[in-house]
Amino acid sequence: MAISLLYYAQEFLRGEWVKKFLAAKTAPLQIPTYFRNYPELTGKTCTHQLYCMMACPAPGAIDVVMTPDGWMPRIHVGHCIRCGLCVEACPNGVLTSGRILESMFYDNTKLSFSFRIDVDTDKCMGCGNCAVACPVNKLIDAQMSHGGRASTDELLLKVSEGKCQVLHVEKCTGCKTCEHHCPNEAIRVARLLEAVHAPEEEL
Amino acid sequence: MTLLQSLKNFVRSKSIHVAYVDVGSCNGCDVEVLACLAPRYDIEQYGIFVHNNPREADVLLVIGAYTPGWEGKLEGLWEKIPDPKVAVAIGNCPISGCLFNRPHTLVDPPVSKHIPIAAQVPGCPPRPTEILSAILSVAPLVYRDYEVRK
Ligand code: SF4
Ligand code: SF4
Ligand code: SF4
Ligand code: SF4
Repeated sequence: MAISLLYYAQEFLRGEWVKKFLAAKTAPLQIPTYFRNYPELTGKTCTHQLYCMMACPAPGAIDVVMTPDGWMPRIHVGHCIRCGLCVEACPNGVLTSGRILESMFYDNTKLSFSFRIDVDTDKCMGCGNCAVACPVNKLIDAQMSHGGRASTDELLLKVSEGKCQVLHVEKCTGCKTCEHHCPNEAIRVARLLEAVHAPEEEL
Repeated sequence: MTLLQSLKNFVRSKSIHVAYVDVGSCNGCDVEVLACLAPRYDIEQYGIFVHNNPREADVLLVIGAYTPGWEGKLEGLWEKIPDPKVAVAIGNCPISGCLFNRPHTLVDPPVSKHIPIAAQVPGCPPRPTEILSAILSVAPLVYRDYEVRK
């Protein structure tokens, strides 16, 4: 009996085993370098085209601010969901995250934007706030008066017969200014993002 | 510091009891918290145990954007946890409401309005590594020399 206990003790109390049992640790886990983390600046010049803000699905995650070095996108941690759409959307490659830029280069893809504007005619009261606020309209007809009535049909939005009408949806830049200025929530802008293969200039 | 206190500090650093509560999430962060329990991350080696019972918890992980149903209940749950205790917000939802924080939303973030939050782990969802390192860095701050500090 005593001998067999001694035998077991000798077998199981090997210093190496005991040390491993008490102090074994797996290597600390590292975040892999290819992880699509919060977008970072590459140092390229931002030209304030705001594609990043148009693409971003998370409220309050990104804005573009004027810094002493010019326009710069700022990512807000706690709002950003690390989707990487801003990285893909930027035409100048200002942002980078994980392997997005490399795979866009190899796959020859880019994001294409289009917008859809829906006006709920039951809610719209024809006040024209949307047409007056729209920055695209402002460029076409700077004289547009309140009420949104205008003579030219080149405008993006105008009010006619007491309702807002969308004339040239292809001119929309997706800024959603109209949405914010509509008192009735009658106008809605939907962003349609498509990843297109082989951008047109190379077709 | 007495010998007893240093012994307590050592033992406590090897026994971090965790409970988690989902106050209205998309389940993304819940899945990442569950992934922490997997052998790949092996949380027991750090002395982290998940009982999911507030009465024996030290660390409460709060997940989600605080839906109206949690009004009054999360506070009650926080009261049940014995001192010393600490709440950690997991994911963007308890910090900012994430994608759910839009006009006319019913959710009421941030969770720090309702219970004191000691640490935040942003991300949608955060990686298990980020969750683990947050728990490991915040827990000792709360428990070290707890009796002496009081
Ligand atoms: S990664 Fe996604 S969520 Fe984050 S700022 Fe860019 S577009 Fe917005
Ligand atoms: S979202 Fe389009 S229609 Fe609306 S204000 Fe901006 S550019 Fe004009
Ligand atoms: S969509 Fe809204 S802002 Fe535009 S005319 Fe109608 S009510 Fe006014
Ligand atoms: S932070 Fe993102 S993943 Fe986590 S619960 Fe909220 S929406 Fe889901």
